[in-house]
Amino acid sequence: MDFFDEFPTLGRDGIREFKKTIDASFRGFSREYGDGLEAFFYPLLKFMVWFERLLINTPWPIILLIMGGAAWLGSRNWWLVGGTVAAFIVIGYFGMWEDTMATLAIISVATIVCISIGIPFGILMARSNRMQSLITPILDVMQTIPSFVYLIPVVMLLGIGKVPGLLAVCIYALPPIVRLTNLGIRLVDVDVMEASTAFGANYKQRLWGVQIPLALPNIFAGVNQTIMMALAMVVIASMIGVKGLGVPVLRAISNQYLALGLMNGLAIVALAIIFDRISQQYGKRLQKHLGNSGGNGGEGKRSG
Amino acid sequence: MKFFLMGLAVAATAMTFANSAQAECGDVSVAEMNWASAELIANIDKIILEKGYDCNVELVPGATVTTFTSMNEKGQPDVAGELWTNSFAAPLEAAIAEGRIHAVNAAPITGLGDGWWVGPKTAAAYPEITKDINALLARPDLFPHPEDPTKGAFVGCPAGWACQLANTSLFRAFEMEKKGWLLIDPGSAAGLDGSMAKAIERGENWLGYYWAPTALIGKYGMVSVDLGPWGGLDNWNNCIVAECDNPKPSSWTHARVNTVVTDRFKKAGGVAVDYLAGRVFPGEVMNDMLVYMQENQASGADAAYTFLAEHEALWRSWVSADAAAKIKASM
Repeated sequence: MDFFDEFPTLGRDGIREFKKTIDASFRGFSREYGDGLEAFFYPLLKFMVWFERLLINTPWPIILLIMGGAAWLGSRNWWLVGGTVAAFIVIGYFGMWEDTMATLAIISVATIVCISIGIPFGILMARSNRMQSLITPILDVMQTIPSFVYLIPVVMLLGIGKVPGLLAVCIYALPPIVRLTNLGIRLVDVDVMEASTAFGANYKQRLWGVQIPLALPNIFAGVNQTIMMALAMVVIASMIGVKGLGVPVLRAISNQYLALGLMNGLAIVALAIIFDRISQQYGKRLQKHLGNSGGNGGEGKRSG
Repeated sequence: MKFFLMGLAVAATAMTFANSAQAECGDVSVAEMNWASAELIANIDKIILEKGYDCNVELVPGATVTTFTSMNEKGQPDVAGELWTNSFAAPLEAAIAEGRIHAVNAAPITGLGDGWWVGPKTAAAYPEITKDINALLARPDLFPHPEDPTKGAFVGCPAGWACQLANTSLFRAFEMEKKGWLLIDPGSAAGLDGSMAKAIERGENWLGYYWAPTALIGKYGMVSVDLGPWGGLDNWNNCIVAECDNPKPSSWTHARVNTVVTDRFKKAGGVAVDYLAGRVFPGEVMNDMLVYMQENQASGADAAYTFLAEHEALWRSWVSADAAAKIKASM
């Protein structure tokens, strides 16, 4: 009867050995390849340090100008420009300028890294069903595994600081851009693809001339999601020594400093809203342009 | 019938007497604190008190302040083996003065406390830096900062911990910024542990804040740095752990750790209290035990038996020959 009452396990010693073996082999791997990996990421670290210093050392009016300009270019909406500039003024006035710039730096680099890795993988996924069935579970793991779990190996491999922080952010923020690139390309109308093939377009021409442009709104939704998720990881990244708005939040958490936590938390929210609105408006404008010239987007399909 | 009941009551009383006569020190509740070294001490105390001194020991889960409060107000539990008292020195002194609580052992573990540590390889290669803080501060090049290799890296205390302020103040007091150092905020316990583990595993130099007794200090054989003379209580309380304009250099404040017992147990415990007053764990032994506990994911009870088996000479020196024989026989 014992067999039915107790789930048969590997046993305490067995499980302990199992865990010890994994730990030991990872330690061996870290000793063997850790230095090499660090050297591999060194240019990235240099770039991140440089970019952060650039943002912090640039006089604040110029940053305000650049932010306002970016808001205008993205959205063509004066309300948004005003809101962006006002948010940054409030942030600066409450003494969070440097932390905000540090956060802005890591978020920007993380977004660039995620886009440059994510879009090619999304295209690859859209090309073959086998790739899709291979990559999807990996993305599932990346999105759902508790971040504290992968912080341990990342820190053992690369120590604490910007690069491991970036890695932690990207593990979480990469999936949406891959998924939505894949989805966008797969949603392109079969008729459109047939027509382009009939006109004699080869694979490259179809990809760059038809699929990617038609998938752009979805890809932009992916970029938007990636930025949002990267911002959500700011506090976690601070747990492994990344400077920025996450550090005061951590300090607030362990000391119950309500005001400090709220101020820096709201600064993260402000950054998120600004990026979200700008990239969404930009995505919408792309769609509008498609709707005007082609007329064969979503509406065409619905009527047909 | 009445007589029968009375007889029963008398018999019961007699039996109680017989019991308590046999168990000299009676029922004892021992606080089992929620960290590894205190867990181990509580379990060792339990075994020794039960087997050697015939007590009936019950382990009660506890945490520093709640256990102290309960001992002070309710007289329960009877024993707290490893009580860190820095944070409530005044109420403890009041309780001792009123005779409700007795601190029977001012140093249950030696070599404990906070400090700055370097790896064993670093200490062996540059012995002078662990003995003279100025020699250490003159060598930022030994501990290059990952983001700016021209500066030395000092890994401080995670954001929001009480020790963060102390480390920041000491960083300023030693004028480390001027001497080419940068203070790193590891962000969390995992960040601090990870940065030390990563550096020592790879044979890199590491300088940072940590505390003993801990498994990590024991596992990697970290060496503490002598921070020089104590800068005075006023400097520490009003400057180092509070924010002030010009903190003076100082060694780390002495961590006050006591074994405390309630007044009831102090009177009733007899020789058992003498044992608690006399048992001192050398820091290295404690660190080794913590490493054992971590590597084998052993509970306090498992580790206590391992301790008794492996460090017999040590615990024999704490107890009488008679008690030692009884403990040995029970194992």
